[in-house]
Amino acid sequence: MSFEELDHTADVLVRVRGATIAELFAEAGRALFHVMYGPCEDRGIDRQVTLEAENLETLLIDFLSELLFITDVENTVFCTFNVDIQGTRLSAALKGEPFDPARHSGGSLIKGISYFGLEIVKEEESYVVEIIFDI
Amino acid sequence: MLEGINTVGDLEWEVPIGYVPNMRVPGRFFLSRTLAETLEEGAIRQLANVATLPGIVKYSLAMPDIHWGYGFPIGGVAAFDRTEGVISPGGVGFDINCGVRLITTPLTEADLAGKKRELIERLFSAVPTGVGGKSAMRVSNKDLSAVLVDGARWAVERGLGTAADLVRCEEEGAMPGADPDAVSAKARQRGVPQLGTLGAGNHFLEVQVAREIVNPEAAKVFGISEGQVCFMVHCGSRGFGHQVATDYIQTLEGALGKYRIEIPDRQLACAPLESPEGRAYYGGMVCAANYAWANRQVIMHEARKVFAELFEIEYDEMRLIYDVAHNVAKFEQHEVDGTTKEVCVHRKGATRAFGPGVPGIPREYAAVGQPVIIPGSMGTPSFLLHGTTAAMQKTFGSTCHGAGRVLSRSKAKKTVHGKELREHLAGEGILVRAHSDSALAEEAPEVYKPSREVVRVVHEAGLSKIVARLEPLGVIKG
Repeated sequence: MSFEELDHTADVLVRVRGATIAELFAEAGRALFHVMYGPCEDRGIDRQVTLEAENLETLLIDFLSELLFITDVENTVFCTFNVDIQGTRLSAALKGEPFDPARHSGGSLIKGISYFGLEIVKEEESYVVEIIFDI
Repeated sequence: MLEGINTVGDLEWEVPIGYVPNMRVPGRFFLSRTLAETLEEGAIRQLANVATLPGIVKYSLAMPDIHWGYGFPIGGVAAFDRTEGVISPGGVGFDINCGVRLITTPLTEADLAGKKRELIERLFSAVPTGVGGKSAMRVSNKDLSAVLVDGARWAVERGLGTAADLVRCEEEGAMPGADPDAVSAKARQRGVPQLGTLGAGNHFLEVQVAREIVNPEAAKVFGISEGQVCFMVHCGSRGFGHQVATDYIQTLEGALGKYRIEIPDRQLACAPLESPEGRAYYGGMVCAANYAWANRQVIMHEARKVFAELFEIEYDEMRLIYDVAHNVAKFEQHEVDGTTKEVCVHRKGATRAFGPGVPGIPREYAAVGQPVIIPGSMGTPSFLLHGTTAAMQKTFGSTCHGAGRVLSRSKAKKTVHGKELREHLAGEGILVRAHSDSALAEEAPEVYKPSREVVRVVHEAGLSKIVARLEPLGVIKG
């Protein structure tokens, strides 16, 4: 559904919403790449990710940490996230483009995903989570 | 000051036991009334949370650049008993051994006349910066293993520096206790292409002038004089360190139940120092710290080559004053209740500030105390200080690490325009070179506490003493 950046002095705090848990994860991925690189287009890069964790919060941190790893070593920027979640098992199909210094240098390098205050909450019509990206 | 906090002295405050449940020791922090106006309650709560960790000794401490982080506050210092204490990646941070080094040159400001822009451009070409910045070095996986153990020495042995550089580094550029087997394949993959790169965010390579010498005797010992052009490197262990931190926060979070440790914040995940998990994190963290020292050594080497070529000066005329780590955990000897104890000191956004005669500092600086390097934010002064006996007594030999943020990145982007900032600084004679103007806005001087005030507090509280003030002439940023 959406993500928005909230005030945080040292780092970047985002509030992410999704109609389903899968959509929440997809939006969190989109938020991460938006903060790091700004605009992104689907230009033929495909990548699969599968992960399993003990609970959904840990799964979300693992997913975002895996995205940080992939972008760092494969020099790719992703914009589309088709996420499927069964229990606490995730499989995601990512689409994006190669890193382009001319277009992707306007963002903030994220060093890690913080556990601080991270809790997935069910509201009336959506799931919400606030995540701190360490900058 | 916030409610529930007690005054200890003009610049020292106490967070009493009970501020949050299960505190084992009180919290102590150093702050002026001016800086207290921007103090966040969240930062004090984090300081108090650290006081709940097993084996914490004396106080949970914070320096005047304290601000809200995750796990420990930024500016946090805590020491843990070797046998009963814990080690926590949240007390070190994702950027393990983020740090600063300061190098003098034989040049004066006048020597830069007409060449400053070329100097900044050449430095920007020589040192990879920014998100996605990759090294031109060819480092094999085997080389990386050597870097993780030998740190800056690895670079010096390959001609990227001199033996004298190593003496003038905290830990001589390589901490003992590295365990390359404790490092994941993912961390290695990230580490190989990034050695010798500056990274992004608040990291920089800055050309400065020593504008004011405050303590001439100490300045003479450190080898810096008024009007001298210097350069400063601020960066850390890049994706390698970020991955080590990520891996071990997960591991230690998973082991909390095993050791029956209850924590108020998952980001404070920790394990006993003497447990397999705690030892593994320490071994991996040391690898990342050593990677960072090699990284700063390589960057300094590239910058020295640029200066040498452009100004026809000798490589050896550019002297490293010192290199300090400000995100690390270390075993050190400190006096606790009248006896000397080995403790594991965590410094997260704090600088070691060992005083005169303390083992572990270069012999040539022994009479003065170790050099302490405090970088300013973009466009504001940086400071060279020296460590003190008071720091040994009050803060496990620690002081501040920088200015500390007061304005969020999102607000900064709304109120500061990168291009205008760059032009404004150019008007003041400070040339800024970065990949993007929008990244500059996040690091504008007004988003930080005034570095002068933060440094004044540590100076007056005696945690370190000012030796020299350096002003920026030009900077390259990620």
